[in-house]
Amino acid sequence: MSKKIYEIVDNLPTGGLTVRALKTLDLFLPHTWENLVGFDQTIKAVTGETDEAMVQAIGERAIALFNDKHEGYQTALWLYETIDASSGLLGTAALANRLGQDTFLGFLKNLTPKPEKAQTIDLVVKLVAEVVAFCKISGIPGDSLGDFLAALGAYKDESLVRMAALVCFDGLIPLGADFSTRALTMIGAMAPSELDSNPTFKGIKAELPGNSNADKLAFITQSFASTKGWMDGFIADRHITQGSLIDGLGGFIEGSKTKLDYLGAFLDVSVKYYHHTGVQTLARRLIERAVAEI
Amino acid sequence: MPPFGWLKRLLPVVLGLTLLVNGCSSAPSRYDQVQKDTTGFGSSAAVARKAEKGGTFNQFFPAEEGSYKVIPYQEKKGFAEYKLQRGDQTLAMLTITDTISLPSAAAKYADATQKIGGYPTVEQGTTATGLLVNGRYQVKVLSRDPSFTQQDRTTWLQKFDLKGLARLKVAIAKTKAARVLAPTPQASTPAVPATPLPATS
Repeated sequence: MSKKIYEIVDNLPTGGLTVRALKTLDLFLPHTWENLVGFDQTIKAVTGETDEAMVQAIGERAIALFNDKHEGYQTALWLYETIDASSGLLGTAALANRLGQDTFLGFLKNLTPKPEKAQTIDLVVKLVAEVVAFCKISGIPGDSLGDFLAALGAYKDESLVRMAALVCFDGLIPLGADFSTRALTMIGAMAPSELDSNPTFKGIKAELPGNSNADKLAFITQSFASTKGWMDGFIADRHITQGSLIDGLGGFIEGSKTKLDYLGAFLDVSVKYYHHTGVQTLARRLIERAVAEI
Repeated sequence: MPPFGWLKRLLPVVLGLTLLVNGCSSAPSRYDQVQKDTTGFGSSAAVARKAEKGGTFNQFFPAEEGSYKVIPYQEKKGFAEYKLQRGDQTLAMLTITDTISLPSAAAKYADATQKIGGYPTVEQGTTATGLLVNGRYQVKVLSRDPSFTQQDRTTWLQKFDLKGLARLKVAIAKTKAARVLAPTPQASTPAVPATPLPATS
């Protein structure tokens, strides 16, 4: 059965670990992200429209656009869902269950930190997923990195927070301050065949440009190299350090300060920020197109 | 007791529970009908195959002007959108769409009583002003900040290259409505902008 975009947006959580983890980024990006939940509320917030008949007309057109498979919105949603689902080590349900029974440290014993290489592949593949999803939603041809970079500078709201979370939760925390340089070196030395053993890559492989793993690795490397400057600048301009980030997260994840490897793994399984903010971006863009077209 | 007799007794309970659970899984929504109409076998595409490429519209958008930035935002088949910004503040969205995918969008201009640049114009909801070129291409300015008024929307609508858009061959050759709603350059334009337009290149 087809997914209902209005129900997906209506069912986004207003609290929980994902929302709390994203809120910690407020420290570095004040007033950037409002956790916009609910389809009609999103229409009203995005367009400023208050006329109920207009809200419904916008909603109906947005739904029709989403349901047209050729328009790419469903693929983008699939990418955001898959990237989160495949990068986690455990299911969210299992995690919630454990958190109910144990202390955080008790829970940590059941998690194994990922090897650095796996963590690096996760980071670069997530970045590439953002490139592809952006193009599916906003319609810039699939390998136009220049346009993406221009748009990255203009990223706002939930899109900016998603990139911030990528840099912080998947880069800085597990890999350290020089994460971008280390990641680039590592993927530069990687054989295309190594990608297939990574669940995150396997999850979205079909949607990445290129016919072979070698092509896909080249696209991944090019994407990461092109956005490295933006990521480094983002951290430097906002004075984000591993320490300040962990202080922020320590507010609700007890005992995390001394277990960095595990903190990365914990964030990986419990924080589904790609899906959460991805749905918000998708809804925003659909609504913006719908109000223009009706 | 016959084999599976227990199952027979249990079945109504299971069926009842299944119906209850499914019934509760999603509350009725005002969007259920459109969901039904736009999914499944036989549902028509949201975007017409013959819709103009979004990239074709780029050349008709207003240029940057003083402290106003005009930033590319979205470009899909039959649709192009730019963001109008001053500093970091988004003031409005500027859009051109091909109504071939959604004839009702063009139909609303049939009752238009005002014109801008000779093209029929309407106010839509509380934040949008649109006009229709050659009965097919809809140009809209949508306020995103309360300081950006209807007057501002009218002013920015005039900064589009509307004449250029009207020269798109496909618009004139293939659109029946073009003959009905063709622009009349001498027509009165009651929605003239309050501020004089700067010279355009």
